[in-house]
Amino acid sequence: MLTPASLVLVGLFAGGVALAVIQSAGFFAPAGEHAFTLQHYAAMLLNREFQLSLMLTIAVAGIATFLSAAAGVALALSLRRIASRWPILNALVQVPIAVPHLVMAVLLINVLSQSGLVARVGYGAGFIGAPNEFPVLVNDPYAVGIIVAYVLKETPFIAVVALAMLARIGDEYEALAATLGASGWQRLRHVTFPLLAPAVVSASVIVFAFIFGAFEVPFLLGRPYPSMLGVVAQRRFTSIDLAERPDAIALSVLMSVITAALVWAYLKLMRYQIGERPTLF
Amino acid sequence: MRRFAAVALLAISACKQAESPRLTPAELPNTPWDKIAQAARGTTVTFAMWAGDEERNRLFRSSVSKSLLREYNMVLHVVPLADTADVINKLLNEKGAGKLQKGSIDVVWINGENFRTAKQAKLLWGPFADALPNIRYYDDGARARDFGTSVDGYEAPWQRAQFVMAYDTSRVTEPPRSIDALGSWIKAHPGRFTYVAPPDFTGSAFLRHILLHFGGYSAGFQAGFDAKLYKDASEKAIQFLTEIKPYLWRRGDTYPSTLKELDRAFANNEVDFAMSYTPSFASTRIARGEFPSSVRTFLFDRGTIGNFSYLAIPFNASNPEGALVAINHLLSVEQALDLSEASQSQFPISLDKLSATERKRADALRRGPATMSNEELAAHFANEPDAGYLTRLEQDWLDKVLRR
Amino acid sequence: MTARRIGAIVTATGALLPLVLLTVYSFSRNWFWPRLLPAAWSSRAWVYVASPASEISPAILTSLWIAAVVAAISVAIALPAARVLAWVEFPGKRAFFFLLMLPVIAPPLASTMGVHGMFLRFGLTETVTGVILVHLIPAVPYTILMLTGSFTRFDPDWEAQARTLGAGTLSVWRYVTLPAIAPGLALAGVFAFLISWSQYLFTVLIGGGQVITLPLILVTFQRGSDEAITAALALVYLAPTVLVFVLMAKYMRRHA
Repeated sequence: MLTPASLVLVGLFAGGVALAVIQSAGFFAPAGEHAFTLQHYAAMLLNREFQLSLMLTIAVAGIATFLSAAAGVALALSLRRIASRWPILNALVQVPIAVPHLVMAVLLINVLSQSGLVARVGYGAGFIGAPNEFPVLVNDPYAVGIIVAYVLKETPFIAVVALAMLARIGDEYEALAATLGASGWQRLRHVTFPLLAPAVVSASVIVFAFIFGAFEVPFLLGRPYPSMLGVVAQRRFTSIDLAERPDAIALSVLMSVITAALVWAYLKLMRYQIGERPTLF
Repeated sequence: MRRFAAVALLAISACKQAESPRLTPAELPNTPWDKIAQAARGTTVTFAMWAGDEERNRLFRSSVSKSLLREYNMVLHVVPLADTADVINKLLNEKGAGKLQKGSIDVVWINGENFRTAKQAKLLWGPFADALPNIRYYDDGARARDFGTSVDGYEAPWQRAQFVMAYDTSRVTEPPRSIDALGSWIKAHPGRFTYVAPPDFTGSAFLRHILLHFGGYSAGFQAGFDAKLYKDASEKAIQFLTEIKPYLWRRGDTYPSTLKELDRAFANNEVDFAMSYTPSFASTRIARGEFPSSVRTFLFDRGTIGNFSYLAIPFNASNPEGALVAINHLLSVEQALDLSEASQSQFPISLDKLSATERKRADALRRGPATMSNEELAAHFANEPDAGYLTRLEQDWLDKVLRR
Repeated sequence: MTARRIGAIVTATGALLPLVLLTVYSFSRNWFWPRLLPAAWSSRAWVYVASPASEISPAILTSLWIAAVVAAISVAIALPAARVLAWVEFPGKRAFFFLLMLPVIAPPLASTMGVHGMFLRFGLTETVTGVILVHLIPAVPYTILMLTGSFTRFDPDWEAQARTLGAGTLSVWRYVTLPAIAPGLALAGVFAFLISWSQYLFTVLIGGGQVITLPLILVTFQRGSDEAITAALALVYLAPTVLVFVLMAKYMRRHA
């Protein structure tokens, strides 16, 4: 019943990844490579830029995921009852999910840059006199722009997941806890959060993995150096020297491995904490 | 009616293409042009073209399609591209997977960097350029070398480009017309200048101007890679870039990631200069309401780098005869005039190669308020340095300027 | 100001602000520092989008068709798969789950070229069918994940009980299982639709320029730097998805 179809898909994709691994291990014909070698992996791992970018990427993905998860759960909790009275709120909360990341990035530049809309409001109110007096929020060392972009995009995703879970769980457990004398905060902490955890954890894993490997938003809203790993990989891939392409593919494979490892460790931790395998609804 | 005819022609041509084997590059020198034109009649030619410009899109959909149909009975099918590199990737994979026939693209609009990759990986059908009747209109230099790579007839020059700088006359009265003057200006106005980070095409071009300047615009830059010339010129260039770094926008801590970013910062008073390979870019932006109308363009006194973009044929094109005819058609004087008129882009053919009537029309081509005349551009034209300088300079910039 | 009010305001702002901004940009001219509103307005972008030269209509239809088929197939594949994953333990389950998550975990660069190579070898490129198949690669894992959760919370005993009462398999599905997982099913379908609707890289590679979808046109103009046309295209891109969300919300209300 797992259907041949899903196996075919898995096969197609896994086949694609396998091909990539082969190409990164020294069998990239367009650059004249026909022998096994680990040089591309070595070139990446020993590269100082890679190491800096790795730390930056883990930090940005981690912070953005954590903030999105917290905000998403908070949003879901505040909306759960009125969402049934005003279903249009369900639709509205999903809208940012449909906005492409590219479009969100461009909008943020127009809003948060030093000559952007917020800065212009500041100018009109007399707080600043020129663009360079406005704080640097995009293409900045603390990746503020990148994190804001992802929080705006991923909070609704996690909120939708949490809302669906809350609708499914229903009120019974919390009502029961209330009759036993638990306060609002105690109910949240000991009843609601553990019930939400599997779904929110799954969604967070997806968000983290996505941000970790992303290119467009970090490219537009980040700095050239150090940049996040997705940008480093893309830059090498599109270099006019084809010989750099295997480096890029090796980097992507490395990124997959790192993400998988981080996700595995996190899931193990969560399983230990909540005693249940995470699922998405 | 015309649409029905096109469909009918398509059906006939489909049968036609099934029968006759396609032309191979080896056969080309021995095949008279008439035979090629005849074989191309009634076929469909697929043209992959970057489609981010509304005027060019309109033009191709209307007058170019109609003229091809009218003169050669050929149907034009345009494949829009967001990035020419997408086509290169596609061809690369197709070659790797053994798809050597029936490729879906016949003609591709290509530029220097992508051509280099394509030639390196043997992704192109050719040589063919010298067999085109209309190639005689185009400069020998453009036909021989593209961005420092030798063309060898694998692509035909189509549109001309030349690097220009832009400034806002309401903010800057007299722009600096040399690298030295620019350096002084930057130090006198901290935070008001920046350039796009390489490996962006235009940002990289800006660096090359600095290299040319400190290398005395020597002709040696076009004669293959000269290590000594590079060492001398690049040392001074890198030193210049390092010196101005703290006076740049954001103190050189970051650079705009795309040209669009630089345009935005320029239009919104964060920096005072913009740059582009398209001489008409400022006029286009003004017309769209993306630049203030007080913007004008300028050149460096010793010259700015110019180059061409080209048309090429993928190795597995299913309709090479149609591709040849279509490319020849686009290279014609009339088509070049139409395109320059519609997109207000630089006219690619030297005026002395034109007839009197053609010349009159070329002289009357509209130019936007912020576009310089062809004469002025030609008077300040500098050739692209060999590709070897490009890669090394980019790497040196990354190592010695960006990552410090 | 209760938490609910804040939540509602945040939601409404988060949804409407991008839409409002995009609309203003699509009509604006000369909107420079320090103006809070454009200096001039123009319909140039919309005139172009509405004209045949933009080739928007065929792209919209293609995108809609592909996304709808992808959603339908994803759900059809995911239902039985999710059922098994939720209820049955079998050897290699962890490994299969990991393989399933691969499209979610692997960055695009690691896979797209390889996937293209495979599709080329199977002759699946440059067709709508090929694009539909390649969209399934990211869509199916998400759909299976979502439906697995629905099944986990759904006790298999319900189905067993219905069967002992004499209901056939089809009736069990129709009257017991599907209604129970319907909300999760609808949401999974919508997400699969969204995933296909937003695909760019896979469409470009596998479609080979013969299959033109809306994201391709949007990205082309976004890179081409025409702000107004990009904003207009973004709105055209968003309109169907917002419509789908609203319809879903109405549907959920009826089935709450």
